[in-house]
Amino acid sequence: MALFITKRLLMALATVLVVAVLAFLLVHAMPGSPGAVSLGAGASQDAIDEVNRRLGWNDPLLVQFFRWLGDAVQGNLGVSLIDGRSVSADLANRLPVTASLAAGATVLSALLGILLGVTAAVRGGFLDQAIGGFVGLLVALPAFWIGIIFVYLFAVQSSVFPATGYVPFEASPRDWAMSLALPVITLAVGGAAFIARQTRASMLEALQQEHIRTLRATATPTWKILYIHALRYASLPIVAGIALQFIGLFGGSVIAEQLFAMPGLGQAVQNSVSTHDAPSVQGVVVIATVVVVAVNLVLELATKFLDPKLRAS
Amino acid sequence: MIPSVAPAPHQRKNALARFSAHRLFASPGGVAGVIWLAALVAASLTAQWWLPYKTEDQDFTAVLSGPTAAHWLGTDELGRDLLSRIFAAAAGTLGTSLITVIVGVGLGTVLAMLAAAAGERVEAVISRVTEIMMSLPGTVIILAVIGAAGTNIPLIMAILGILISAGIYRVILGQAKSLQSQLYVDAAKVDGVSTLGISLRHVLPGLTNTIVVQSALIFAVGMLIQAGLAFIGFGPPIPQPSWGGMIQGASQHVYDAPWLMVPTGAVLALTVLAANAIGNALGKAPNTTASHLPSAAARRQRARAVAAVGAATTPSANPVADSDAAPANGQLSVRGLSVGVDGGPRLVTDVSFDVEQGTVLGLVGESGCGKTMTALSLLGLLPSGVAATGGQILWNGKNLAAATDREMEAIRGRDIALISQEPMRALDPMFTVGYQLTSAIRRLRKMGKADARKEARTLLEKVGIVDAERILKTYPHQISGGMAQRVAIALALSGRPRLLVADEPTTALDVTVQAEILSLLRSLVKDTGMSVVMVTHDLGVVADICDNVAVMYAGQVVESGRTANILDNPRHPYTLALLAADPHANSAADMPDRLATISGQVPQPKDWPTGCRFAARCQFAGSACAAPVPLLASGSEEGLVRCVKADELAVEGLEWLATEVPTHRVLKIVERDLA
Repeated sequence: MALFITKRLLMALATVLVVAVLAFLLVHAMPGSPGAVSLGAGASQDAIDEVNRRLGWNDPLLVQFFRWLGDAVQGNLGVSLIDGRSVSADLANRLPVTASLAAGATVLSALLGILLGVTAAVRGGFLDQAIGGFVGLLVALPAFWIGIIFVYLFAVQSSVFPATGYVPFEASPRDWAMSLALPVITLAVGGAAFIARQTRASMLEALQQEHIRTLRATATPTWKILYIHALRYASLPIVAGIALQFIGLFGGSVIAEQLFAMPGLGQAVQNSVSTHDAPSVQGVVVIATVVVVAVNLVLELATKFLDPKLRAS
Repeated sequence: MIPSVAPAPHQRKNALARFSAHRLFASPGGVAGVIWLAALVAASLTAQWWLPYKTEDQDFTAVLSGPTAAHWLGTDELGRDLLSRIFAAAAGTLGTSLITVIVGVGLGTVLAMLAAAAGERVEAVISRVTEIMMSLPGTVIILAVIGAAGTNIPLIMAILGILISAGIYRVILGQAKSLQSQLYVDAAKVDGVSTLGISLRHVLPGLTNTIVVQSALIFAVGMLIQAGLAFIGFGPPIPQPSWGGMIQGASQHVYDAPWLMVPTGAVLALTVLAANAIGNALGKAPNTTASHLPSAAARRQRARAVAAVGAATTPSANPVADSDAAPANGQLSVRGLSVGVDGGPRLVTDVSFDVEQGTVLGLVGESGCGKTMTALSLLGLLPSGVAATGGQILWNGKNLAAATDREMEAIRGRDIALISQEPMRALDPMFTVGYQLTSAIRRLRKMGKADARKEARTLLEKVGIVDAERILKTYPHQISGGMAQRVAIALALSGRPRLLVADEPTTALDVTVQAEILSLLRSLVKDTGMSVVMVTHDLGVVADICDNVAVMYAGQVVESGRTANILDNPRHPYTLALLAADPHANSAADMPDRLATISGQVPQPKDWPTGCRFAARCQFAGSACAAPVPLLASGSEEGLVRCVKADELAVEGLEWLATEVPTHRVLKIVERDLA
């Protein structure tokens, strides 16, 4: 187990490094030098060259990368070319927004998906078909479209929830929850459909296992077979599905943040890409990767812990 | 379990395509999907000839209008016709999504085939790389690419394809590996076909269906992501229309013109739905393995069937139950039992036998004769889709064939217990042996936790496990097959049953372990006085442990009686043949030069003739065998036999002959294959 964790940690580290290199190269391929971007149109070439020299833009790529890496390891992701603010500080403010969104959507989609999937598998018949059709529809509807419909229904028609904006948890936990409600539901819909399908398939597979027959042969009550034994057996692929889902939701938050005007990482990446703000783009790509990889690592360890075969070895 | 015609492993490409096409058009969703996509492609390709407006035409008399005669789907904030813009954008959306499909599915397939063909090292490397790719925040990376390269949509869709290929690789790898390990691939390797040749000629065709399914699904994903990017402002340059961009525009007017959301969203959703429907229609695997716990809906259906069986067999039609007013404890009488697939053929017909308390009955026959189905029906544990369709299973006078699931729950474990063929699969891999045993004991004997634990230890010791305390703490995968079967037997004994149904309990075990398990069962029968129904195809097991035997062939009992009588003096040709074909049946001294064989195979239930079901394979079959054959007294004690020629065979003392294999035919087959 210790060896397994070490291996996975190294893999995670490698993933982040690869992305860091990739992001670095992409950022360098962006049109316009940092000087041109930060000074804007109409700046003199001399001024631009001066800024580029100060930022070390003309140094060899390798030198620049390791300088960036050295700073990044110490928590310094550079300075925004647009407003001169610290990228680290900006992202530190934004991370809780996206984290709340993605975590909320993951939890909600897992609960909803497992409920729907288990019901479909266990009840069968008409209910199974109805859930199948409903889930198929949810998969096909784009999240942003669903989001707008939610805004129309719950914010325009009846102002149950605020249409846009984000209230930090520290300011007011109640308003925080209210401000998150619509974006989280919007994001969770597609994820719930995905997890429902995964859960249904895993449950059906679990019920095909021969040990289910043994349990019935020893008069195990049906509820116990379904919700303790079969669900336990099905839990491995379900948790793996949730882990995959988190990656998608983290990316999906770009759209939710745009739609609901949430000041999160997604908004940051969209802004910085539009304005060619190189350090911000690079910072946000790396931070997003770190979060996604870390959450995946935890969920993967959870899956391994759920499997007695792997836990013992 | 359920007999099904398994598709041949090696299908020709055109056969596979025909099969897939058939499956696609068999599903209404698939048909609808194909029609919608075809109509959309046709409409968008011909858009310039039929669209009522140009995409940039502005009609200021009808800004943000709903559907009207002039604008069928309404207009946007600049008075542009929505219908025209939606269809003008369609071709580009569909075309660029296709790029993602080609890159993603293509790369994923190539990687999977490479990993399958080039061995474990290469596979490990590719798998690691794809794992990393899958754990990346794809959307964020795509946005970074947009930052570097601008909104070059074909390029973005291609990079999306690369990111997605990791997932495709995962889906296809397993299948590619299993195709690569087929025997005919080994044969091709021996013949010197190159690795590339094998991949293209033998592996790729087998992957076709999966590739098509994944393509349809990825096409849908591509469209959604492309629309999402356009929605956040990374679509085709304004004023060029795109679905995502149009929904973004509509979202600005959700307060004053909510209709604007509907047409574009609906077209996008329908298109995604169509692609998914095609993928699902093609990818729906025929469900060959039956559930061991049918869904609630299936259980309701079965309850109705059970009620019908109960209504059909009134007590008056049951002479045995009438004559035995007070049946002995532990008495099993099966009378005229039929088991069938719902809406399909019957798998077991008119089976009758008795098991006296403390005796062992063997159900013998080849695979596919209905032995296991008969055995499972005793516990009401037939797989979903299969049910007892008639007759009676009288347990202490109660008809279990007509018992509800709740009534059966009171019988299972306490009265009748089960041990099955593969002990490893019979135990729950997720829970310790101790948990499984103690929870069964607590449930079946109403014991407290501590007492149950003590009892579990006693039971394990009773089935010959020395270090019971250690075994209690292990998971099933940590113990050997023989040990697992002992645990499974202990589990079956936990409710102190009067009857044990054993479905080939020794078949999956090593020969030495087999003998141990049999002797354990024999001593358990002696000590506890329980009876056993032993399903087996091994006549050695029968001779070893069974008091009585019922020989089954094609869903019928063809001969039954006391073991000694049947083994020494078989009356039915099938029994004769089984004995002649059994290497254990003869002592070493008079071992024949050649063991007998039974040509052909057990017919599928749908092919059973009305006459003798064994006639087609029987050495003694004659014209009389075409008529239905009743089960008649065989002349020895309570023995019964189902053969019109039984007396004739007995008088003439005929034996099942080992036939010569006609060598010239073998040679011919080989020559023809080589030609």
